[in-house]
Amino acid sequence: MLTAIGTMVTAAEPEGGGSHWTLTMIVVLPLVSFVLCGLCAAFKVKSKLPAWITVASLAAAFVFTLMAFMNAGPMIAAAGAEHGAEHAAASAEHAGHLTVHVFDWLNFDWGGGKSSSGRFDADFGFYIDGLTLLWMLFVTGLGTLIALYASEYMAHDVGLGYCRFFAAFSLFVLSMSCLVMASNLLMLFFGWEGVGLCSYLLIGYFYKKPAAVAAAKKAFIVNRIGDLGLLMGILGVYAAFGTVQYDKVFEFIHKGVDAGGHPLTTSSWIPVILPLLLTAGAFGKSAQLFFYVWLPDAMEGPTPVSALIHAATMVTAGVFLIARMMPLYTIDPAHTILTFVAWGGTITAFWAATIGMAHFDIKRVMGYSTASQLGYMFAGLGVMNSAGGAAHVFSHAFFKATLFLACGAVMHGFAGQLDLRKLSGVRKLPGWKIVAAAMFFGALNLSGVTFTAGFWSKDLILASSFEQSPAIGWILLITAGLTAYYTFRAYFRVFEGPVYFEPGDEVHGHDEHEDHAGHGHDGHGEESHAHDGHAQGHGHGGEFHPHAPGWAINTVLATLVVGCFAIIPLVGFAEHGAWVGKMVGASSAAMHGGEEGHGTFLGMNPHSVMYYVSSVVGLLGIAAAWWLHLAGRTSAAHANADKLEPALGPIVTWARHKWYVDEFYDAVIRIPLKFLSNIFYLLDQYLVDGLVNLTGFVPKGLGRLIRPSQSGELHGYALGMAGGLAVLILIVLMVAR
Amino acid sequence: MTDRLTFLYPEIALFIGTCVVMVLGLSRTLQARKASALVTGLALVVAGYMAIASTPRVGEAICPLTGICFSKGLTPGAGQLLLPQMPLYAKTLIAIVGLILLLPCAGTVDRAEEAAIASGARRFDPLRSNRAEFYAFFLFSLTGLMLCASADDLVWLFLALELTSLPTYIMVAISTSRNKSREAGVKYFFLGALGAAIFLYGFAFIYGGTGSTNLNQIARHIQDDGLNSLTLVGMLLAMLGVSFKIAAVPMHFYTPDVYEGAAPQVSGFLAFVPKTAGFISILLLAATVGWAYAPGQSGVGAMLSAGPVEPLRQSVGATQLPELLRITLWVMAALTMTVGNVLAILQTNVKRILAYSSIAHSGYMLVGVIAGPGDGTFVNSGVAAVLFYLLCYGVMNAGTFAVLAALERSPGKDGEPREIETVADLKGLCATHPQLGWSMVICSLSLLGLPPLLGFFGKLPLFTSGISANEIPLVVILALNSAIAAFYYLRLAFTPMLEKPDAGAEAIRHAPFFSRRVGAMVSAGGVIVLAIFGSALTDQATQAARVRSAEAPAGDTSAAAPPAAAHPAQPATPGPRLSKR
Repeated sequence: MLTAIGTMVTAAEPEGGGSHWTLTMIVVLPLVSFVLCGLCAAFKVKSKLPAWITVASLAAAFVFTLMAFMNAGPMIAAAGAEHGAEHAAASAEHAGHLTVHVFDWLNFDWGGGKSSSGRFDADFGFYIDGLTLLWMLFVTGLGTLIALYASEYMAHDVGLGYCRFFAAFSLFVLSMSCLVMASNLLMLFFGWEGVGLCSYLLIGYFYKKPAAVAAAKKAFIVNRIGDLGLLMGILGVYAAFGTVQYDKVFEFIHKGVDAGGHPLTTSSWIPVILPLLLTAGAFGKSAQLFFYVWLPDAMEGPTPVSALIHAATMVTAGVFLIARMMPLYTIDPAHTILTFVAWGGTITAFWAATIGMAHFDIKRVMGYSTASQLGYMFAGLGVMNSAGGAAHVFSHAFFKATLFLACGAVMHGFAGQLDLRKLSGVRKLPGWKIVAAAMFFGALNLSGVTFTAGFWSKDLILASSFEQSPAIGWILLITAGLTAYYTFRAYFRVFEGPVYFEPGDEVHGHDEHEDHAGHGHDGHGEESHAHDGHAQGHGHGGEFHPHAPGWAINTVLATLVVGCFAIIPLVGFAEHGAWVGKMVGASSAAMHGGEEGHGTFLGMNPHSVMYYVSSVVGLLGIAAAWWLHLAGRTSAAHANADKLEPALGPIVTWARHKWYVDEFYDAVIRIPLKFLSNIFYLLDQYLVDGLVNLTGFVPKGLGRLIRPSQSGELHGYALGMAGGLAVLILIVLMVAR
Repeated sequence: MTDRLTFLYPEIALFIGTCVVMVLGLSRTLQARKASALVTGLALVVAGYMAIASTPRVGEAICPLTGICFSKGLTPGAGQLLLPQMPLYAKTLIAIVGLILLLPCAGTVDRAEEAAIASGARRFDPLRSNRAEFYAFFLFSLTGLMLCASADDLVWLFLALELTSLPTYIMVAISTSRNKSREAGVKYFFLGALGAAIFLYGFAFIYGGTGSTNLNQIARHIQDDGLNSLTLVGMLLAMLGVSFKIAAVPMHFYTPDVYEGAAPQVSGFLAFVPKTAGFISILLLAATVGWAYAPGQSGVGAMLSAGPVEPLRQSVGATQLPELLRITLWVMAALTMTVGNVLAILQTNVKRILAYSSIAHSGYMLVGVIAGPGDGTFVNSGVAAVLFYLLCYGVMNAGTFAVLAALERSPGKDGEPREIETVADLKGLCATHPQLGWSMVICSLSLLGLPPLLGFFGKLPLFTSGISANEIPLVVILALNSAIAAFYYLRLAFTPMLEKPDAGAEAIRHAPFFSRRVGAMVSAGGVIVLAIFGSALTDQATQAARVRSAEAPAGDTSAAAPPAAAHPAQPATPGPRLSKR
């Protein structure tokens, strides 16, 4: 397989051959890892081999990404610098990009190639620009780290499940690379479906646990609705431009005409309907607006999966799609769909934050927080600050991965315990310092405390929001306060205060122990075996011994914390998102200038005051969390916040029940659908089946009619052949006369 | 002469392999006897390599496997010029599929005999051993098949077709020790002889009509002087006769009985080898006539009327076969696929299902023959579609038969393990024998044409070429038949996957030959891998399907060579060039 791909690469265009190799290897390595992990499963490997294969291939893929970055760097830097300096139109042409053709994938032409419309080309190729490289850097980089983390985290499942996990993990990175590096929309779509599939497989990893299976199905089905939009959008792009290759589409948009030469701005559907369809896909994958329901449930998957797929990479595919297709969104001078995107993101950001405030499960809190932060990113794109949106994707990938992995370490150590009312003062336990520090620094980032990476990227979005539409700005600003509150609520409750812990439910049910895969939560394995004898006593300290994380988890957490700091200069201390801004400026997501908004923040220029405002808001949120959840707290279960609950009345209960959105969907969509399906079932049973049986009867009856010809007798057959020949010739003579 | 030989290196390699195997299979030592299968495989590999490396080619063609372009700089003087690139593609394809077909052949003959020798009950007796014959005939048949691809003369074509078929008659008869196989072999032989008589009669007519047996000269003659009614009748009879090889209506009767009687691995061989020979011959004959006739010209009226007969002329810009041939093939295609599919539904025996499905697939491929080369692009060229479909069909069909070959039930009265018979025997195969079960599922779904498997990519160009040739009613029939086919292919796919074995059913087990299992898995893997890397292969098929129009070069006097120059006794006479590059 390798050689086949190699031949194809060398057979492709010779120019820049070296970088083709590096680019292709980025995709090939996860594929190799996937195949090898599959082989491990086939040969029933009972060691950590699949994990090391995955870590090694992903690390190598990361190195190749870096090499590609170095190769393409000068070009992109030049284009980005031009963009940054002038803050002016850096169109798709001017922004540096590289289209690499690896091999012909789907090439059809009809009508004899006479008309240009009679073609459909989708190469297997890469479209490399700043956006691609930015995404690939954190996809492969974080992928490597999280695979390393998972090597320890999934250790209790060593065997078939371990192979399955890492095979799906590699397949995920492969699909994500295809999605991000695709040179056309069709390849993006395949990657898109691939990551959806892997997400399904990994959420449902504990497939004997009903909640996990239900969550997997939910994620898959909700995503299908969005994907329908995306697919229709892709078909629409093909209908409009006669191609799905990015470079060609962007060229048409740059010229302002569609494939037929008609101006785009006068088209009734291209400027609005097309982006709307793509937005549906993006919102589905990124859990925005009414699509958000799948993301919190997806936390049923193993925590490394939540960190990689449902926080850092896959869910940002929607942001990527809109950023990639930004030229399409900016055809419409009124920016209708971008405004819609901005409002969709804003509402989700606020909505999910309120739910996050009330939840007790810290992993779910992080889940809602992800939906909320994704809302910020979409708002950033929607208010014409793609650099801000991308910068937030970038910094969020780091700090949210940190937070998730820290939560995972807690879950791993306390037998699946995630309820913040049952854990307290974890920081003070031996061996938990790094986890606590990681959680703390992640929380600082998420809260947008001054000078952290999260602060800089969120600021860009907030400032641009005020500029474009103060209403969006205000909502996002309030949400920032709420974010700081719920983040530190989780931190203060779990890691600070008096030491107290109850193990999770995974030390119960010894009868299930033979079957590891069947076990609900992660992290049960070792310690419950080790402590079988005293697992019953799970009081304060008691005989349950929390299982402090080992070297792999600690290394990864420490690396990520360092990463969170290291990326600060990449997103902060400069106008327009520093280095990330340059990368985005050198891509299809580069914003056309001359569209400055005129909104202000209380009469001041938002870009100059937002630093101070958001710092204050963040600190206020943290202070509230400190007052309500840490100050004077003597037990894990109760804090000052409890006194507030009666005052707020039913609001808390509603938030805790996710504002009853699931129930609402149940009543509005599921029950009518079920009713409808019952009607259809009856129709099917009596009407359609009858017809089908009838049509099925025709060929069967025909068969019975001619079956006697197959008598098995030699002379009969010879007669049949000669007679058939005669009859055929007769027929032909009669017909052809 | 030497020019001609360079076309035949693959065949020569196979023939040498045949001779070695014939001797080796009679050796006293078991190891040497066992090596005959290995030598067979080796001969195929060498032949495949030779086909890629040594076949002189016109224009450039990059080998799909090595990416290397060999060029001997030979002029296209020798060999047939109508489909100049086809032999390269066809021989490579034959070598590859031949290897896949060889895998399940392990232990087909002499199983009881070898067991008796191993237990010491009997000493090795060359007269009782069939191994040498079996592998030699296997190679002989493939040699014939490759010779079909290089044929440029009617006599050569006839001999090659017979060399393809004669060994298969015996392979069927000796494939098991049951009487059913012998009956099948005899039936196959007699009916095959009848079919051969018909197309030989057709060849005679063609010779009578054109005065030549050289395909290039015949094409030249038809182009210059038109298609006279004698040649037309000859073509009609020849195509109908050859349709015995592809098992098309009305020559299909033997198929289910013979496939059922033979061992599954031999049935798989029958489903690919004679079919490929038949399609190559039909394509060659059709290319000789040319797809360059206007729709109105039936030529029949003239044929039936007394008095002077005006020959059919090719016309510029026209893209179909002579109306008479087109309608014959049209009716054959429609009937073949319908009869095949409809009768397959009624069967419960897996081999009979696959036999009828083989008939149906021939019907599908005839659509491509009717559509013709179109404008030469892959989606519009029916010839490319047929050549590509032969590859797809060869791979996926070998898989289904290999699965059957790799399984067996407890021994019957004669002491030989019984084969898988009904679909019910396959119940729960995915759970009990996952490798074979999933191979069966993948291959069946691919035969059905389910995207994204290989069968889908094979069938798609048949549809598109049919549409571009404006054969809409035929394409509709093709689509309906594909739907009918789902009826039994889904049964073959879902019975192993979804159903559980019956409580009282007797257990099925692996046949004790590992390579049979490997054969099934290689096919199933090929179905997936080739579907992904299919574009290189479709390019090859498109290259192979290039039809050279027989335009006369100005001032080429040798073209008017008298018919005697190409007398059957001298096939090596450098054929007159139809056109110069």
